Amino acid sequence: MPLKLLLQLSWRNLWRHRRRNGIMVLAIALAVTGVMLMNTLMRGMAAEMREAAIDNLTGHIKVIHPGYMADPGIGRGFEPEQGWEQALADVPVAGWAQRVRVPAVIMSERETRGVQLVGVDPAQETISFLGSLSVDGEALSGAEDRRIIVGATLAEQLETSVGRRLVIMTQGADGLNREAGYRIAGTYDADSNALEKVFVFTGAQTVARLLESPAVTEVSLRLESDDDIPLALAELGAVFEDLDVKAWQDLEPQVASMVLVADFGLYIMYFVIMGALVFGLVNALVTAVMERVRELGMLRALGMRPRSVVAQVVVESTLVMTAGVVAGLALAVVCYLPFSGGIDLSAFSETMQMMGVRNIFTPRLEVADMVIVFVLSLVLGVLASLYPARRAVKVTPLDAMRR
Amino acid sequence: MTQHVVECQGVSRTYQDDAVPVHALRDVDFAVDSGEFVSLAGPSGSGKSTLLHVIGGLDRPNAGAITVDGEDINALGDSELADLRLNKIGFVFQAYNLIPVLSAQENVEFIMQLQGIDAAERGDRALGTLDSLGMRDLADRRPGEMSGGQQQRVAIARAIVTNPVLLLADEPSANLDTGTTGELLELLKRLNKERGVTILTATHDPMVMGYASRQVHLRDGEIVSE
Ligand SMILES: Nc1ncnc2c1ncn2[C@@H]1O[C@H](COP(=O)(O)OP(=O)(O)OP(=O)(O)O)[C@@H](O)[C@H]1O
Ligand SMILES: [Mg+2]
Repeated sequence: MPLKLLLQLSWRNLWRHRRRNGIMVLAIALAVTGVMLMNTLMRGMAAEMREAAIDNLTGHIKVIHPGYMADPGIGRGFEPEQGWEQALADVPVAGWAQRVRVPAVIMSERETRGVQLVGVDPAQETISFLGSLSVDGEALSGAEDRRIIVGATLAEQLETSVGRRLVIMTQGADGLNREAGYRIAGTYDADSNALEKVFVFTGAQTVARLLESPAVTEVSLRLESDDDIPLALAELGAVFEDLDVKAWQDLEPQVASMVLVADFGLYIMYFVIMGALVFGLVNALVTAVMERVRELGMLRALGMRPRSVVAQVVVESTLVMTAGVVAGLALAVVCYLPFSGGIDLSAFSETMQMMGVRNIFTPRLEVADMVIVFVLSLVLGVLASLYPARRAVKVTPLDAMRR
Repeated sequence: MTQHVVECQGVSRTYQDDAVPVHALRDVDFAVDSGEFVSLAGPSGSGKSTLLHVIGGLDRPNAGAITVDGEDINALGDSELADLRLNKIGFVFQAYNLIPVLSAQENVEFIMQLQGIDAAERGDRALGTLDSLGMRDLADRRPGEMSGGQQQRVAIARAIVTNPVLLLADEPSANLDTGTTGELLELLKRLNKERGVTILTATHDPMVMGYASRQVHLRDGEIVSE
């Protein structure tokens, strides 16, 4: 049967029941829009968490001592060889930073808190949230800076402020406690309160002097893209033979699984919502086919092959599905565009900050997801029509025409 | 030896109605030669439609052999039967059976479209045939916008436009008034004479019988006289 005739007949049959088919198209469109919009939120959320995880001193890849995770401290430090970064010449690297990070106790005149003391070279920290931090007071001037910056929330808890002094106590490489006083250069305001409570920054040399050790506890690396992770892992593994070289997915497994959930979430939402809809579609198609049994029987009596009759019903169903999906995707894009630059959540920032989400939330509508939804829908449209179509050719043309 | 267009040998068709067998056709031997205009007559329930259906491959006999234009129908599968109907047989049914979403011209073109004839030729042939039936002006109307007689003429145009070997017409005049029936019969006769179309029709209508070149009478599924 010529395709053109098939399409022509299907098209006109669809118009014959434009009301019923219109409702079907609308229902599919709304379902698709719903799925896509929920998906943009989930994708946005996952991307945000991923960005945040990478920003929060993790980077794409981190080199640490194998025992550091279980027992963090300068005892698990190492000294990278000069020029180790040459090994990465053929990997697109955005930047890297060497840090010394140890657990410490910080004390004001009134309060004491457990924190992570992080010695950094501010010039290297363009790769982490430190680089774009808004600091009240002054930022660190370099690796030699002997002042500290603390989170705004921590400063509040310690009932202290910029310019005052705090005492930091930690364990040196020899296992003995070290203690020193530092002046607060500034307080920082991060996206998450949890960060502000945990990280206290100062110059890397300052921490080295306190711990009496030139070692670092981590090398963090930021790449241009996730795709380069395997290559970078391999090359770093060769340089830091006795150390652990880990990708962010290993370091932040909860976040990695959240990103994975977002990937699957599309399918789950799609099948829950569209699954219900497909029942409606099958039902509408069965009705449409039963109404036309006589006519379809006549087509066969005139010499149309059974499989062409099946094809006609399948094409009709697929056209309805396609119209619905295209309209739904278009509607999703229209709804998404005004928010593509981000949604200002500062009104809810307290709760959101607890969840590690920034004030500006950016939903993400991904073309790949739209393609997936489109293809899945076509497949569903075909599957949904097979049963009604088979019913159409189950009766003989003669029986069909008698009705 | 003339080749029969239709040949039935020992054809029986039994319906199982509530466990009581209904013998719609019993051991029928029957043949139609090329160029004949045969009318099947007989009381209601005598098996006229059933005979047309088994010959047209819409129904299968329980016993017996049927050949149409030399093809053994029993040997054909459903798709092949569809092809046989498509390429060799023209059907005219009592209830015109036009495709409601297509215009008169598109209905007439439908079978040619299935046959894969190109658009220009289809259009010419459809309009030409509609013209010869006095229906050219209504070519763009859909079935719902035409009278019964007009629809039946479109159905006939559709059946003959492909020059089938055999035209099967079941009660073609049942829904038509006498005047329209007369026109229809003249038309069939002209087709038979001028184009040499072989026609087999089933009818109660004495007017139809009068036009046929041969009458075959059925009773209780058997041929009683010719
Ligand atoms: N599908 C069917 N199921 C059961 N019985 C059937 C079926 N089709 C036909 N019959 C029976 O077969 C017999 C012959 O029917 P058929 O339709 O061939 O008669 P007919 O001569 O065309 O009658 P009419 O002049 O009323 O059209 C009848 O007794 C009819 O009831
Ligand atoms: Mg009959």
